[in-house]
Amino acid sequence: MEIRRGQRVSITELCQCANTQVLHVVLSISGIQDTVDFACFGLNNQQKLSDDRYMTFYNQPNSPCGAVKLIASALGSSTFLCDVAVLPQTIDRLVFTAALNSTETMHDIHNGYVCFLSANQEVARFSFSGSDFHDEKALMLGELYRKDNTWRFNAIGQGFTGGLAALVMHFGGDVIDALPPPVSRISLEKKVAALAPKLVDLAKKATISLEKHRLSATLAQVGLVLDASGSMYAQYDKGKVQQVIERLLPLAVHFDNDGALDVWAFSNKVLALPPATLRNYADYIASAEYGWRQWGMMGINNEPAVIEQVVKHYQNTTLPILIIFISDGGVSQNTVIKKLLVEAAKLPIFWQFVGIGGRNYGILEKLDTLPGRVVDNCGFFALDDINSISEQDLYERLLSEFPLWLEAAKLKGIIQ
Amino acid sequence: MGISLSKGGNISLSKTDPMLKNIIVGLGWDARPTDGIDFDLDASAFMVKEDGKVRSDSDFIFYNQTKSLCSSVEHTGDNRTGAGDGDDESLVILLDKVPTDIQRIVFTVTIHDAEARKQNFGQVSHAYVRVVNRETDNEVARYDLSEDASIETAMIFGEIYKNNAEWKFKAVGQGYAGGLSALAKQYGINI
Repeated sequence: MEIRRGQRVSITELCQCANTQVLHVVLSISGIQDTVDFACFGLNNQQKLSDDRYMTFYNQPNSPCGAVKLIASALGSSTFLCDVAVLPQTIDRLVFTAALNSTETMHDIHNGYVCFLSANQEVARFSFSGSDFHDEKALMLGELYRKDNTWRFNAIGQGFTGGLAALVMHFGGDVIDALPPPVSRISLEKKVAALAPKLVDLAKKATISLEKHRLSATLAQVGLVLDASGSMYAQYDKGKVQQVIERLLPLAVHFDNDGALDVWAFSNKVLALPPATLRNYADYIASAEYGWRQWGMMGINNEPAVIEQVVKHYQNTTLPILIIFISDGGVSQNTVIKKLLVEAAKLPIFWQFVGIGGRNYGILEKLDTLPGRVVDNCGFFALDDINSISEQDLYERLLSEFPLWLEAAKLKGIIQ
Repeated sequence: MGISLSKGGNISLSKTDPMLKNIIVGLGWDARPTDGIDFDLDASAFMVKEDGKVRSDSDFIFYNQTKSLCSSVEHTGDNRTGAGDGDDESLVILLDKVPTDIQRIVFTVTIHDAEARKQNFGQVSHAYVRVVNRETDNEVARYDLSEDASIETAMIFGEIYKNNAEWKFKAVGQGYAGGLSALAKQYGINI
């Protein structure tokens, strides 16, 4: 049986058998160079993932009840075994998904299908190809759902440009609807667990701070500016800057609709680096743009140049922006920096300056009381070493002033 | 909440709500909140005679011709009055003013440009049609047709028709391929 996109069909019809409860579902996509991540989400009657354990994928191949199992994975293909009779009543729907991690999109698919096997024989197939899509990076291929005590299948073939994160957010709860905090907590930890299990512990700590500061439902973009002047050499060489990336990434993943941390390095000049993501974070400093030693940095520090570039980068963004600006001091261009930040106060950007292991932070230390601004758009704190405080403390300090700015900026109509 | 009908079911509007004079027919749907091409759905009404055909093109009420000559049927488009909360599109029918030679009024929804956009009703959820007493805001009948909608690009959601002295509502849920033009031709409209 051929199933068309949008079609609904009962599993009895699908398998041409009255009592089918166990289905082999094969998902396959060809034409994509990188790996395709397939998953099966078990959703409740609100179409939400109320229980994380019902996301069945390579890292979690069995649902708690044993009803959904990932039984085979190959390049571009996964097979799930679904015994719908065993599913608890709270699970109403099994959605089969595919997500891409590279720059490729679903438009690049050569061909793909969802097919159903019964007794090792193919009984039904929903085929699709790249021409059905545009720049989606994650798809809901199809869903099995309960209807009047039977199960039916709907061929969906629709998705999100935001990839797996957008998909998880779709199932995890609508952040914009300002649902209670636990929903976004599931999103952050789930996203991190799916892609970067090593950061799960950090994600949990970040979550606590986010909830405490009532930022669970806030959408924002997060940018990181890294001082890469000569005095920072040891910090890079010892891997401390890499640790900064790892510690900050969970915040970016939480706030950001694209789950990425925009990164700039600066010394005499400015280098816009590729965004840090859960995919590439692990050796980011050593590998982004051929690694930090190839960046052509390690000169003197030119803060105004990077501030200007950051402002320019976000000029068309409507979301609030949190910039975390790492500096080891030696700040000399006080007048220019002051002028730029006073002008930037009308923009939806909050600048959180963090001094690390340095001295002579110049104007940065006096930003809180800088006169002539519509709102206080800057914060500053200094640490001897980024690793000298616990992660929890770090998140607390990073997030203490941002919510105050959010409120003030809203009042002034700078953000919505 | 009014009486919930299944596909093919019908009720007497006059008997269910004896006070009924004028009705709002509300139609609604949700497209999945995904990032593909937008869905553009249009509701229309066909006022047809005993033989199932319109008298003239002016009996086809749609976004470009929102009111019948007799004023008995009016497409109010997006609901801005607050009545019939949540409907995507609605039509007001003044039952007493419906011309005597009109036997039934058919309510359809079509997906604009469905062919090119590769869209169909299977990708739309929570589709329904409901009949509301315009004076009391009381919902008289409702038909949720999500499960009856699949690969069609045009659908008859429901119809009201005269049965002797009473008006009845029928949950139709019949789909067609070919969009609005195919549907219009069937009722004798020259598009």
